Amino acid sequence: MKERIGVYICHCGGNISDYVDVEKVRQAVQDDEGVVLAKTTVFACSDSNQTDMVNDIKEHNLDGVIVSSCSPKLHLTTFRDVTERGELNKYTYVHANIREQVSWAHSDDKIGATEKAIHVVKAAIAKSRYAKPLYPNQFEAEKTIAVIGAGIAGLKAAISLSDKNSNVVLIEKENRVGGHTATWGSLFMTDERGSELIDRIYSDLSQRENVFILTGSEVISSKGSIGNFTLKIRKKPQIAGDPVETMEINVGSIVVATGFEHYSPEEGEFAFAQNEAVITLPNFKQLVDESSGKVLEYNGKKIKNIAYVYCVGSRQTEGENKYCSRYCCTSVIHTAIETKKKFKGIQNIHLNRGIRTYGKQELLYAESLQMGDLYLQFNDDTPPEIRNEGKKTVVTVKDILSAGRELEMEVDLVVLVTGMVPRKDQSIGKMLKLPKGRDKFYNEVHMKLRPVETVIDGITIAGTCQGPKNISESVNSALSAATKSFSYVSKGTLETEPIVAEVDHEVCSWCGKCAEACPFDAIEKQEVNGKEVAVINTSVCKGCGMCTPVCPVDAIDLIGYTSEEMKSMIEVLA
Amino acid sequence: MATRINPRFSEELKKYGAINMNACYNCGTCTAVCSLSTTDDSFPREMVRLSVLGLEDDIKTSLKPWECYYCGECTTNCPQTANPGELMMSLRRWLTAKYDWTGLSGLLYKSMSLTLFAMLLVFAGVLYFANSVNFNLEQMLHTGHIFEMVAIGTIMFVIFVPNLLRMWNFTVLKAGVKAPFKTYVTALSDLFVHMFTQKRSKDCDEDDSFRWLEHFILVLSYLSLLFTTVFLNWFGTGSILIIIFGYIVSFLIFVVTVDFVSSRMKKKKSLNKFSQPSDWFFVIWLLLMGITAFMVRLFIDLNILESNKWMYILHLTVLAQWALIIVPFGKWTHFLYRSFAMYFSKVKSMALE
Repeated sequence: MKERIGVYICHCGGNISDYVDVEKVRQAVQDDEGVVLAKTTVFACSDSNQTDMVNDIKEHNLDGVIVSSCSPKLHLTTFRDVTERGELNKYTYVHANIREQVSWAHSDDKIGATEKAIHVVKAAIAKSRYAKPLYPNQFEAEKTIAVIGAGIAGLKAAISLSDKNSNVVLIEKENRVGGHTATWGSLFMTDERGSELIDRIYSDLSQRENVFILTGSEVISSKGSIGNFTLKIRKKPQIAGDPVETMEINVGSIVVATGFEHYSPEEGEFAFAQNEAVITLPNFKQLVDESSGKVLEYNGKKIKNIAYVYCVGSRQTEGENKYCSRYCCTSVIHTAIETKKKFKGIQNIHLNRGIRTYGKQELLYAESLQMGDLYLQFNDDTPPEIRNEGKKTVVTVKDILSAGRELEMEVDLVVLVTGMVPRKDQSIGKMLKLPKGRDKFYNEVHMKLRPVETVIDGITIAGTCQGPKNISESVNSALSAATKSFSYVSKGTLETEPIVAEVDHEVCSWCGKCAEACPFDAIEKQEVNGKEVAVINTSVCKGCGMCTPVCPVDAIDLIGYTSEEMKSMIEVLA
Repeated sequence: MATRINPRFSEELKKYGAINMNACYNCGTCTAVCSLSTTDDSFPREMVRLSVLGLEDDIKTSLKPWECYYCGECTTNCPQTANPGELMMSLRRWLTAKYDWTGLSGLLYKSMSLTLFAMLLVFAGVLYFANSVNFNLEQMLHTGHIFEMVAIGTIMFVIFVPNLLRMWNFTVLKAGVKAPFKTYVTALSDLFVHMFTQKRSKDCDEDDSFRWLEHFILVLSYLSLLFTTVFLNWFGTGSILIIIFGYIVSFLIFVVTVDFVSSRMKKKKSLNKFSQPSDWFFVIWLLLMGITAFMVRLFIDLNILESNKWMYILHLTVLAQWALIIVPFGKWTHFLYRSFAMYFSKVKSMALE
């Protein structure tokens, strides 16, 4: 039981004090049992108040601290750290939210808001009396790291991990490494060939003793959690008739780099699969790369005028792909320039929705303009129309840059500039429970601050499985994910939050209800002292509390939110 | 109805001097900085767009290229160095070629060697003529004078009238403007004001009063010299007033054209940076006209022309080249087309009201 509790009530500028009479709240709680200090403050999070709190803890010999302010999402960690600076265990800190849940919610009722604030703070005081010091769980971590997918992102992640002296298992479903990049000819900005780039990286990687490359191999199941994943891998037979090989590996962290697929237009989408002269960007790139001679030919027809229709399968107003695929503008402009340089008499006509050759890639756009490429821009609601006039293909478009005028052109080839879509095969994501965004690519925790981590501890994402990226962006994220994955396991031991579920094995008699309720597969049936009971895997448990109310015998408690604490809060509120 | 584009048109326009117009990314800075462009009548971006897309019919019906006086602001401010000012200039050359029913303007604009060949041919013709009259000065002067009168009449009725009708057809009739006859009469004052004063160029932000004055003096001096030599028979007259007037105007032509030639050589302003052969021929031949006419009259007054017949043959050559090539098929025509463009534009706006 805490006997020396300090309570701080925040004005939040006026966000709280405009609606809640904070002084009245202070007076209402200052004589509560165990409260030795009750203060109001204009900004509890300000540096000066934090310093005051640290001094108060020492001066008044406090054993519990409460701040009544904004949402714990914003400042829980701030005040836990203040408590720690005052040399108290940071888990003894209790937070009361009187802004989002009181002043903002009841701005029309000041008296009622003040009354509710008093109750919320009193409940926090009640909880504080029972708050126990807690310590993070520590366990040993496997230092090997798995990289799933050996495209450009996976390969670079593997090299980066190998450089850090980490053992790496690189798993690739196909029989060769390099993904899409290996199939590409000249790449934009560097003019290097994709296959050469991959050859160079691969020959470096294959000489490294701490890298194990498994091609033709699939991860078929995953168990465990950060620090101790067990992956089951199936390797396709190299020679037909050989038995299928399966193996198990233990890794501390996983980098997922499973890549993307090219958008495949529907039949009839911009006359695709109906008009022979309509092809997709990847096919066109291959055609240009593989053709020789002075004149470009396709299906035995000489190609001179080429129309490129942008944003096919990206930025859809009606379809599902709302996002921009980022790489296509630059890729098609680069290919158009290459085509014009390589073959005679080429006229490129770009039908676009605004050119997004950001950064240095803008130089390619400038080059293409200087070379005489034509740019027409259409609105998303009036896409270009493609029709046949005898054997000729005619494209009609309403050009924004010509005051929306309807213009038409006779072309020899229409290239649909297709974007990136998520892999159809989402088995890895399902197996590892990776959340997906609205775009159906795997999602990071925070776009800006935690850009390669997933909500599953120990699993990072790299490259285009996270969303459309060009090669440099993929490599950037791969190096970042590799470093993040390495940092999880590099110390050899791991710490996790102490706020996890706890089972009283005396009371538990395994019914399985808690395991069903757990969204993280953190509860397993185990035999303890000759009795089947539920055991919590503390490195997987997130402390969400889903299991506690379903237990019929009340054998599960959530540390930090024990029944004792919750009941005391309810009593105060009642 | 969709209009068909012609991306290869830019290659044709480049032969008329267009530079780098494909670099345009349609920001519209040129139109924004142009002090002559208005909301209802905006350029040059629109003309750049039409040119890039190769919408020839639209360009042919447009008067906008003539509404530009090439202050060069657009070119100076273009972030893509797409040179809209020079594009407008090239369009004026292209339009000149389109208005010309003989098609010779286009050939001469596009081919330097053909122009030189035509110049030499005229020179040979003059020599042939001089030889045929045994270099008799009297006869040469007399025929030269008759030639001037005949040339003016012929060019006017055979070349200019049909060409102006064609221009009217393209820019007014085909543009769908129906104006009553009265409008044409009322608007006439605009025609003459613009023809002689270049009034509109005063609206340019980069108002260069000195250049405007030079151009104004040149126009008046040129027309005066034409009048003096043709109708007052400067080389044959005894009137001291006419003689002195002729000296003054031919001298003025010489002075102004020397400055024009030197600014084209110095290339300080954007309108002087990209001279095409047609521009050089125009100013240099005007200069030569002034100086040789001045010298011929001086030789007459000093009584040394008889012993220096080459001076008159030189003048006659310059005159014939001017009258047979530069006036009907070269840059001289801008004098007419620009002022008629202002006239038609006035007619159009009156008809729309």
